[in-house]
Amino acid sequence: MLKLIIIAFLFTNFHTKTTNGAIINKNVERVIDLSTQLVKISSAITLENTGKDAESKYIITLEPNSIRNLSFISAKDSYKEELKVTETKNELGQVFSVKLNHPLAASRTSTINVEFVLTNSLVPYPSSIVQKDKQLVRYFGNHYFYSPYLTTKQTTSVIVNTRSIENYSKLKPVSQSDSSITYGPYNDVAALTVDPMIVHFENNAPFLSVTRLERLIEVSHWGNIAVEENIDILHTGAKLKGSFSRYDYQRDTSNNHHSIKSYKTILPAAAHSVYYRDSNGNISTSQVRARKDWIELELRPRYPLFGGWRSSYMLGYSVPSYQYLYKGVNNQYALRMRLIDNVFDDMHVEYLETSVVLPVGVTNVKLSTPYEVERLSDSIAYKYLDTKGRPIIRFAKRNLVEQHIQDLEITYEWQPLLLLHEPVLLSIALYLLFIVVIIYVRLDFSISKPEHVKTQ
Amino acid sequence: MVDIETMSRYVSPINPAVFPHLTFVLLGIGIFFTAWFFVYEVTSNKQTRDIKKELLVSLVASIFSGFGILFLLLSVGIYV
Amino acid sequence: MLKINTKTGLSSLIIFTVLLLAWVAGFSSRLFAVIRFESIIHEFDPWFNYRATAYMVENGFYKFLNWFDERAWYPLGRIVGGTVYPGLMITSGSIHYILHLLNIDIHIRDICVFLAPVFSGLTAISTYLLTKELWSAGAGLFAACFIAIVPGYISRSVAGSYDNEGIAIFALQFTYFLWLKSVKTGSIFWACMTALSYFYMVSAWGGYVFIINLIPLHVFVLLLMGRYSNRLFTSYTTFYILGLLLSMQIPFVGFQPIRTSEHMAASGVFALIIAVAALKYLQTMLSKSEFKSLFIVGALVAAAVVFLAVVVLTYAGYIAPWSGRFYSLWDTGYAKIHIPIIASVSEHQPTTWFSFFFDLHVLVTTFPAGLWYCIKNINDERVFVVLYALSAVYFAGVMVRLMLTLTPVVCMLSGVAFSVLLDLFLREEDTHRSGDSDVDDEQTTSSNRRLYDKAGRVPKMKHEQVRESDGIGANIRSIIIVVMLLLLMLFAVHCTWVTSNAYSSPSIVLASYGNDGSRQILDDFREAYYWLSQNTDDNARVMSWWDYGYQIAGMANRTTLVDNNTWNNSHIALVGKAMSSNESAAYDIMTSLDVDYVLVIFGGVIGYSGDDINKFLWMVRIAEGEHPKDIREGDYFTEHGEFRVDSEGSPTLLNCLMYKLSYYRFGELKLDYRSPSGFDRTRGAVIGNKDFTLTYLEEAYTTEHWLVRIYRVKKPHEFNRPRIPFSNRVVKSQSFISKKNTKRKKGTIKNKPVIVKGKKLLKQA
Repeated sequence: MLKLIIIAFLFTNFHTKTTNGAIINKNVERVIDLSTQLVKISSAITLENTGKDAESKYIITLEPNSIRNLSFISAKDSYKEELKVTETKNELGQVFSVKLNHPLAASRTSTINVEFVLTNSLVPYPSSIVQKDKQLVRYFGNHYFYSPYLTTKQTTSVIVNTRSIENYSKLKPVSQSDSSITYGPYNDVAALTVDPMIVHFENNAPFLSVTRLERLIEVSHWGNIAVEENIDILHTGAKLKGSFSRYDYQRDTSNNHHSIKSYKTILPAAAHSVYYRDSNGNISTSQVRARKDWIELELRPRYPLFGGWRSSYMLGYSVPSYQYLYKGVNNQYALRMRLIDNVFDDMHVEYLETSVVLPVGVTNVKLSTPYEVERLSDSIAYKYLDTKGRPIIRFAKRNLVEQHIQDLEITYEWQPLLLLHEPVLLSIALYLLFIVVIIYVRLDFSISKPEHVKTQ
Repeated sequence: MVDIETMSRYVSPINPAVFPHLTFVLLGIGIFFTAWFFVYEVTSNKQTRDIKKELLVSLVASIFSGFGILFLLLSVGIYV
Repeated sequence: MLKINTKTGLSSLIIFTVLLLAWVAGFSSRLFAVIRFESIIHEFDPWFNYRATAYMVENGFYKFLNWFDERAWYPLGRIVGGTVYPGLMITSGSIHYILHLLNIDIHIRDICVFLAPVFSGLTAISTYLLTKELWSAGAGLFAACFIAIVPGYISRSVAGSYDNEGIAIFALQFTYFLWLKSVKTGSIFWACMTALSYFYMVSAWGGYVFIINLIPLHVFVLLLMGRYSNRLFTSYTTFYILGLLLSMQIPFVGFQPIRTSEHMAASGVFALIIAVAALKYLQTMLSKSEFKSLFIVGALVAAAVVFLAVVVLTYAGYIAPWSGRFYSLWDTGYAKIHIPIIASVSEHQPTTWFSFFFDLHVLVTTFPAGLWYCIKNINDERVFVVLYALSAVYFAGVMVRLMLTLTPVVCMLSGVAFSVLLDLFLREEDTHRSGDSDVDDEQTTSSNRRLYDKAGRVPKMKHEQVRESDGIGANIRSIIIVVMLLLLMLFAVHCTWVTSNAYSSPSIVLASYGNDGSRQILDDFREAYYWLSQNTDDNARVMSWWDYGYQIAGMANRTTLVDNNTWNNSHIALVGKAMSSNESAAYDIMTSLDVDYVLVIFGGVIGYSGDDINKFLWMVRIAEGEHPKDIREGDYFTEHGEFRVDSEGSPTLLNCLMYKLSYYRFGELKLDYRSPSGFDRTRGAVIGNKDFTLTYLEEAYTTEHWLVRIYRVKKPHEFNRPRIPFSNRVVKSQSFISKKNTKRKKGTIKNKPVIVKGKKLLKQA
């Protein structure tokens, strides 16, 4: 038995170790987009199989110091079809293996597009500034495409979306144009080569992260799904040093400021009864605009957010059930809804906790999510007119970005007769009251009988 | 896992647009019977009281009021 | 038999319907603020009540009773459990508890917001019961409808105004109802109920003193009028003893009922009624002449003994003399001279004639008529209402705030007056018709204008024929009825108008209207408080004038120095002194009080008149009361005795902390093209001291319309020397020069202990 385990272990170890050296990166074109608070790296990789056997697996990885900031990874082939990416661990640390849709035959080439989204990778420098200063950030990266394979030729362009670049590391050949820096082409870079790249530039994009997002979805079979999000936000850019002057703030009308006045949240088109409030009540500074396919909500926090300032609020709305709730045979129901929704463009959510409150009396609940989440223990909520609680399905995930806005699916079984639970409950309660009255009028509390009753 | 694509969209058994009307009608009937019940309780005395009538009237009152209150809750946006 | 039954059924249905409608009308007319703004707690004191309630709901009742709030009155703190009337919190806490038992998960804030409107319905019902005891059910219905919508009561009970008065008026009326009931029946049961209701009142509001003085006064006057009866004896003795014991169970009240002058009347009357009862008992055994002399001697002795006992105990210190607030009820000038902090509150000012009319409208004219009817047809319980009316009128004249105790009695007596009038002109054979016409009138008053015609015409037509013989012509009859209904309708319109315009502003959210009628919401208070709550240290201490203490504690959850529970005058004076001193003197006070942030309200940009500069003279006065050497009110006026902020203003004013904090960088701001920079819209003047900098404070946050300005108090190292970058810092070496050199290698010990021979060293011992 023990032997078997050891053999199995050895085998798996051997298997992951082989980073199928037969593949080489023939050409890599990498774009590092630093124009927002996120770092988005998209690489178009042309693979070549120099070995003899067909390969169906390709390993991608990231520099050890950036992999902990990785939020999202995806790979597509040249037909824009999603490739399956699985996370494994080997001696390189955390790696991702991409399963190619069509095995790559010997001495053939193929192109895949890999996209990474990194968070917390732009560091404000200086880390605290006064109100009128510009916000400067630094990016620490790698001049070369980090890959376990040999890379024959590669170019990297860094988009910063500003002309004011303080400084950048110059590994020739390098050129700077309007709002981007182009590194390369570099030839024949060995596997896993790191050469530190630093870009120091002005970035006035909103540096806003959601430190905690609690999303609560309540399903009612009377035809409504209520969504409520409790959101804590923090300005993660350069901290405000010294005083905040309202006078200067009012005079500075340029939009290009590191403080955040407002942002936009996109809600589903069918959303209604939207509310935006915090612990002190309604926040009156918001606007709802109905677009064709969605509802745009312009949210203004109570105060402009400067570096290091935080705020929190609650956003809720209702959507009709036919948008997200499906009915099958044998009292089977399925809820398909977004696991996380848009908070603002290029958002970064540090911690998400989603709870789905299902109707009273559901059984056989199954949850499926588009990516791995941490399932928390289910609990029970008592809402209006509940005698037996409603089950809550809860799960959590850290470090999410826009690309994580995907659907979750929950299927359950439920008896439609249970709809009558609440009204019958109400009626019984009322009837009990009436019976109390009927009994009360038949009781006599007086110690001595009044005269006229006696005489009667 | 059941395939969602084979399922049909779920709509409420009662169109939410008629909730307010249902509230009005059901609560109206409920209040009428409640008033009847209480007037009967006040006007009758021990001799004239009829338990069957009381139970019947209050049953009707409570059923209509119960459903009326439910639709009232639904129409103001408290989806139970 | 059957006919009577249907009649009672119908009249009880009508009474029920009218009371329900009064409840609904009262409830909905209190909702202006909720509909216009949102479900939010208003003003100042309600924020404390809300915070205390939320604390109780979260931590339980016993934790609440023992709550020591270290976030208030820094560094003193406040024993909240022992210094509040907990009735309000218990009421809403138990509603919350019951609803949550039924799984109705409503937020405690919403319960607090809607508590007062819901209780206004209960007040209407208890007013109905009280008036019914006094006069008739018809008068009761009138009174119930009046109290449901009268502005004098609405002013304290709109949705969101979560204050003691909201439930206390209900408790007041209900206690009086039960008292009259017990006087009428002489039953111990009703007297016990009175004591219980009184207990609720004591737990809810400091105004219980009004009850514990009015009921003894009633008994006393009845005794004087020779209306002593065993019923009176039973009810008063039962009520007094039970009420005394129960009221002492409230921690805040404690031993006050037996130790303060305010409560002494009740015990005096208690002694008196026992003496009278004893005499009455003796009367049955003695002859007439014997009794007469005994009565005179006995009464004199009893009165003298009671009076002397009170005086002696007061001097001996067992009974506290009257408190300052109580004195100010007798002498309206008292507070202004001795206790500026009481005088500085606008609701403690004497009432103007205008506000009587504003709050009571037509009732103010009809209520004397009702009073006259009561005096004319006097009986035991009408004596009570007469006394109630007279004392309440006096108190309402002294203090605007006590308008609230006048309002219920005005409604009751006006109800009597209208009912008598209706009886006269619509005289009916049976009770049910008069009840019916009342109903229609009630609906008229509850702002249903369309019913007015119907209600006016139907009775008129019927009675034209019936009472030809009465001497009142049909025309006069109809004219009077039409005029009366018109008055009632105007009353309803006035009530709605006043409620909507004067009493429905949450005062923490302001609204301004543009020329095109568009509404703009100024949410600066919550903006600032929310900023404080999110972006300052959890233990930061905020200094502000006491008006804003409760709001800061409630909305920003930060430690405050002074708040609306103005129990410590010297602490408030210290804050006032800091605000009225110059910056460096203020800095000393602020560092001694560990202040981190200073918050001022400044209305100069939007023309908000209730800001700190306008309240500033009170700060100066209160500070002068405690620190006459440092602060003198005269320094803040110009030579001509004017208080002005422009360049003519006194230099002391232009350099004090409050001025600087309000106007910091305001001198640069141009509000519009016509006015010069630094133009203060509230005072209508260009400020005098425009260009100054702050040394000891820095602007931390200013809200969008400059309404709230928050400053951070700098730490000493931040201003008294320029900041040297870390790399340039040189650590001074100590000026100790070693005497060691190549020649002298032997070191010496500094501070070498000297050993005196013959003595043991202490350490070794």
